[in-house]
Amino acid sequence: MIDEGMQEQAAAYALGALDAADRQAFELALRVDPELRALVHELSSVTEALAGMAPALEPSAAVKERLLLEIDQRRPAGAASAHDRPVQAEAGTPGPVPIGRPTTPWIPWAVAATLALVAVGAMWQSAGLRSQLTVQANRINELMVSAELARSESSDLRLAVAKLRESNRVANFRIALLDSLLAAAPKTIAVSVWDNERQDGVFIVRNLSPLPSDKDYQLWIIDPKYPSPVDAGVFQVDAKGNVRADFRAKLPIQAANQFAVTIERKGGAAVPNTKAMVLAGS
Amino acid sequence: MKSIAYPRAFGRNVAEPNQDAALIARIRGGERAAFVAFYDRYSPLLFSVAARVLGERKEAEDVLQEVMLVIWNKSGDYDPQLGTLSSWAVAVTRNKALDRLRARTRRLRLIEEAAVLAGDSGATSYPSANEIVHGRERAELLRDAMQALPADQRMAIELAFFTGLSQSDIAERLQQPLGTIKARIRRGMLRLREQLGGAL
Repeated sequence: MIDEGMQEQAAAYALGALDAADRQAFELALRVDPELRALVHELSSVTEALAGMAPALEPSAAVKERLLLEIDQRRPAGAASAHDRPVQAEAGTPGPVPIGRPTTPWIPWAVAATLALVAVGAMWQSAGLRSQLTVQANRINELMVSAELARSESSDLRLAVAKLRESNRVANFRIALLDSLLAAAPKTIAVSVWDNERQDGVFIVRNLSPLPSDKDYQLWIIDPKYPSPVDAGVFQVDAKGNVRADFRAKLPIQAANQFAVTIERKGGAAVPNTKAMVLAGS
Repeated sequence: MKSIAYPRAFGRNVAEPNQDAALIARIRGGERAAFVAFYDRYSPLLFSVAARVLGERKEAEDVLQEVMLVIWNKSGDYDPQLGTLSSWAVAVTRNKALDRLRARTRRLRLIEEAAVLAGDSGATSYPSANEIVHGRERAELLRDAMQALPADQRMAIELAFFTGLSQSDIAERLQQPLGTIKARIRRGMLRLREQLGGAL
């Protein structure tokens, strides 16, 4: 019989919530107690089920390609077995680069020509991709207007934003859905579309309470490059709590990982008042 | 409300424990095909977990790649006595994602927690990673069991798993005694084990 104290530790261990010292002590107990091991085995499956409650997402195909390329490069020459060949074909990924195989002289020129074509193509596409910022912002605006923004429908909006993120991955846009942190205003929601290449973005918000005249909402970009959130400007909402605003950051942004909105004094602050944070999202 | 389109992978890859045992043995033997099979079966689950923890697709893909290299290079670390292969892979994924999360500034912590809680896994209408890996019927069982948990137990468990907060941290955040948090986690996990029963 496992006592409650050990059950607590087993549950925390399965969740990865024990600190290092407790974990080491618990693992010693695990070695000598088969009943405890069985409990941990079962609770680990519970943890896996919990993990699987996360919304289903699939990685891009590029991850698998990079991964297989890496393991093929690490494997000793001749390690491929007969089992490997058909699966490689099934996977639909390009074959691994053979290590040590002599290359033919035309290959570097072919690669250079291909890269040149890609570069020209990228330049040609650049203007078009930039213009998509406005198009996609308008698209999101339409989505938000058409949605009633009730909690039950926000998952639709999330899916729409996720799809836009997918379709825009190559366009270097960062699309973030910001949720309300205010219990009294659960219907408040916002979307930020950030173009890292152009270093500007569009911010759309719905159902945010208007502020008194001596206050402003302030948008922040969280970039791991900086110790503090970066000021992205202040804004006010209209009488219905809506706004659509273009914005720029006060510092060059390397990675716009997350966005947040705080209430600040008129004109904004140098650092955010985290106690007055009203919206946040990634 | 519009109907939700399920991902193309919906319902595939229902793994059997025996298949897992055979799979890990082949991966340990350096068989590339076994590794590809593992990737195809579990990458949606592991990627979904990393994305849920990090709230960021690009970083989640980096984590998935790291985890898969662990599976390939260090599958000897897996102890079948302590859980299934997929449970181990989930734990490795969660830990690597949390390592990245902790590397960010402490200022982000509030936002990260808010994002996790806003995720509200029990109330979503879109398909979960469980549906991809285990199929719809089993996923619904898992979802029902999670939703049947008292909210305070579910919150303590989700905070522990997805944010990496220690039990003491959770007690502080929720302004509850540490013993209360430990008891909530224990009761919640044991109740889930009972309710899920053979589905695990």
